[in-house]
Amino acid sequence: MFVAFEKVFTLANMIYLFKGALISLMIAALALFFGLILGIIGASAKRSKFFLFRWLGNIYVEVIRGTPMLLQILLLFAVMPAMYTAITGSVIRPNVYVIGVIALSINSGAYTTELIRSGINGIDKGQWEAAETLGLSNFQTMKLVILPQAFKRIVPPLVSEFITLIKDSSLISTIGAVELLKSAQVIGNTYFDVMSPYTLAMVFYLAMTLSISFVARKLEGRLAQSD
Amino acid sequence: MIKLKSITKRFNQFVAVDNVSLEIKKGEIVCLIGPSGSGKSTVLRCINGLEVPEEGQVLINDTPLIKDDEKYTDLKLKMGFVFQHFHLFPHMNVLDNLTLAQIHVKDRNETEAKDIAMKYLKRVGLEEKALEYPSKLSGGQKQRVAIARSLCMNPEVMLFDEPTSALDPEMVIEVLSVMQELAQEGMTMVVVTHEMGFARTVADRVIFLEDGQIVEENHAEEFFANPKSERARSFLNKVMH
Repeated sequence: MFVAFEKVFTLANMIYLFKGALISLMIAALALFFGLILGIIGASAKRSKFFLFRWLGNIYVEVIRGTPMLLQILLLFAVMPAMYTAITGSVIRPNVYVIGVIALSINSGAYTTELIRSGINGIDKGQWEAAETLGLSNFQTMKLVILPQAFKRIVPPLVSEFITLIKDSSLISTIGAVELLKSAQVIGNTYFDVMSPYTLAMVFYLAMTLSISFVARKLEGRLAQSD
Repeated sequence: MIKLKSITKRFNQFVAVDNVSLEIKKGEIVCLIGPSGSGKSTVLRCINGLEVPEEGQVLINDTPLIKDDEKYTDLKLKMGFVFQHFHLFPHMNVLDNLTLAQIHVKDRNETEAKDIAMKYLKRVGLEEKALEYPSKLSGGQKQRVAIARSLCMNPEVMLFDEPTSALDPEMVIEVLSVMQELAQEGMTMVVVTHEMGFARTVADRVIFLEDGQIVEENHAEEFFANPKSERARSFLNKVMH
């Protein structure tokens, strides 16, 4: 089964896999960042006093969470070029990495919306009341009292979200992006042995996810100082 | 200073405060007492707008307290509020707890706010805790910090909502003595409390509530020595031992 391992385990192949891993990491990081922005917008919409915003926020979260991420990626891959053509009239060859980041960001944003919303709702009502009796406005209370506390609760699940994104970024290999999983497949096709490169890909994924978990635990310890 | 004109507050079907009117004069110390669920905390929360009564009017210095009114924040700032569960901001140290609203609401600069904060921390005997986080303080210390935090905003009246009910017995006295000092300095105070000893010795007037209504209102001495209503008498029999 592993007969070709020595053949596969070359410096060039390792660099190729490493590049794939970096791309996976970059895509996940960008998706986390844009997802966080979407999450802030989504959570604000869901907490809005306007029904329309709450409704839009709910639809966003429910649609994204209720459908497979693979389907969302494939749909965006089909829809984006068509939309571009409809708007500009010209035809483009879509950049699969850009589509990948957009799809993952939209997906992550829905989960982050719920993280932020529950982080804010989890803060004791007394904090709002105390701030109110001291004359702070709603906006000041949110910025100075609620969000700093909610942030501490949001960080740990946000780290899990990052880890999820690193793993789920493998799905964009289906639209042709060469990230870590696809890199392993390419090597596998060259040597007619998928076991060795897949195993190596697992090691790369674990190296990324475990080191993020490690950093996260350190960070949590620091954030918990005032508790 | 404070006037409640026949206020009624309901929570769904439950009538928490039923047509209550009362007046509190400048410099007066009034204790609201009564069994739990009698509406005394809700009355207090209506005074500073934490609850909005469905009927009736709350007047602060003869100005009606109405949400979204331009005078609303100014009126609220005349009143300090101390909660049963302190509600300090856990992510900031004691000093920052005390300076936050001074800087962002009163527009004081940092140095000035810190000076004022230290002044009041000293008054509640906690200046050496200025840089501690609330989680490092005992309940009694937390409540004294909460009182200092309110005083930093220079209120004209202090409202206390069962300030000692969440404390271990040995910490009650340190909070009550801070309150007693405030009273001696002439601060107007409205106190919801189960501390009958405090009510008897410190209050000018005691208001006894039951089922959302004022049952009896009298000078503190008179009320404890000789309660007029049967309900007040049976309540006192249960709580005084």
